[in-house]
Amino acid sequence: MWKWVVVALISFFCLAPLLWGLKVSIAPQYDTSLIPRRFTSEHYRYIFSRPEFFQYLKNSVVVSLGTVAFALPLSLLGGYALARFNFPGKQFSFLFLVFPLLPLIAVLVPLVSFLNRLGLYNKLSALIVVNTVFNLPLTVWMLRNFIMEVPAEIEEAALVDGCSRIEALLRISVPLMIPGLVAATVFIFITTWNNYLYASALITKPSLRVLPQGILAFIGTWGTYWGGLTAAGIVTIIPPLTLFLLFQRWFIAGLFGQMLK
Amino acid sequence: MLLFLIFPLFSGVIMSLQETTFAGDVTFVGLKNFRLLFREARFLNNLKLSLIYVLGNLSFSIPLAYIASLIITSQDMRGLPILRGVFLLPFITAPVVSSVIFLSLTDASNGPITLLIEKLTGERPVILATPSLAMWTIIFHSFWRSFPFIMLFLAAGMTAIPNELYEAAKVDGATPWHLFRFITFPLTRIHLALSMLIITMWTVQDAETVFALTRGGPGYSTEVLAVRLFKDSFINFNLNLGATVGVILLGISLLFMVAYLRLMRER
Repeated sequence: MWKWVVVALISFFCLAPLLWGLKVSIAPQYDTSLIPRRFTSEHYRYIFSRPEFFQYLKNSVVVSLGTVAFALPLSLLGGYALARFNFPGKQFSFLFLVFPLLPLIAVLVPLVSFLNRLGLYNKLSALIVVNTVFNLPLTVWMLRNFIMEVPAEIEEAALVDGCSRIEALLRISVPLMIPGLVAATVFIFITTWNNYLYASALITKPSLRVLPQGILAFIGTWGTYWGGLTAAGIVTIIPPLTLFLLFQRWFIAGLFGQMLK
Repeated sequence: MLLFLIFPLFSGVIMSLQETTFAGDVTFVGLKNFRLLFREARFLNNLKLSLIYVLGNLSFSIPLAYIASLIITSQDMRGLPILRGVFLLPFITAPVVSSVIFLSLTDASNGPITLLIEKLTGERPVILATPSLAMWTIIFHSFWRSFPFIMLFLAAGMTAIPNELYEAAKVDGATPWHLFRFITFPLTRIHLALSMLIITMWTVQDAETVFALTRGGPGYSTEVLAVRLFKDSFINFNLNLGATVGVILLGISLLFMVAYLRLMRER
């Protein structure tokens, strides 16, 4: 019995802020009660009537999908190399787990001035590249572990039958590690979608902002118009939340199982 | 990796030793930037706040994470992945979005937390304009975001503990506290250290939620190191000073890392 009380309390703790955000976004502006008597879609209609909100949404989609498209094949190949080949320096591959922990904000300054010199400042492509690079270590490591679970003999059999290495990987191993690939995809998408820091360092042009940047800018211009702000927030939560709910089991197993290995 | 991590790392160190004038001339100034920072009261305060931020977050997150993971792994609760999903929601919410929600929760005129404090104390505070309350807000916010992560790590460790251990101990007359103290805690030690390490790293470098919530204010009262870096480099465009703070931040993280790894190795 007491367990359920604690469960209820913790669930409340986790959910309350989100529910509050939802409530503010669907209640009339000056309704201060905890449970509103009247619902309205005015805040949602308002944000979707703003062209810049669409622009931010579009940029976010482009950057997140671009990063997934870029990072996933790279991590698959990287993970494959780590799992199957021997090469000098392989014993240092544990560094793949250490790098993501370092405060990337510390290398951001030199990185930005470096990208600036390459002419990549204020370009969505630069954001995709940076997000890819900073996601790679962990996803390479995740996929490495998934590939290692596929017995090498199956691939060798395919090689004997005349497949190339790439073919063997794509036809034999990939179908066997779908959960791992899904976990990596969801992970890359969510971290990229939610990320504010890299975008704020690389993008200054208003039309190229991604959603988290846009929301922060709205705080500046809308002040305490909480209805609009929370509505924008809820819209921002929906894509990661949907992915998370759809693939929860694989995502958790993939992410946490692999980090502990 | 090499291009994007190692190279910026080195050029970061080099930038921290340089000074750029308004005309754009770059000169080598040795450790001047570091000396400048360490003599500055504001910077020492940044350091102190970063420590408080991390310790504050951990000291709330760990107990709750233990309670939550004990519950989701206990016998009669297993097979309730919904709970696990609910507990993980804060972790997947975008930091900027949860900051907006916390901003509206602490709104000065009708945020529910403001009103709650008013009911309890009779005074209506302007939470984010009061230094101590602003600090509490950012700690509480990062606690809300990070405890699910520690919980999942601990839960993974707990499911690996064989049940026989508990049963044997119960036969010997162990109380629940004993069970926790002598079985659960020692056997999840590595999981705890690992998740603490990850959360510490994330909290040390967290600039965006603090910036979104308080912009380091009121005054400099919530300006942690990462926010200082962010402001120096991307708002004031003093890239050399930003890089210097970055190098110091890296040093601190490495210290933390070594300390936690030591902790894991022992025993």
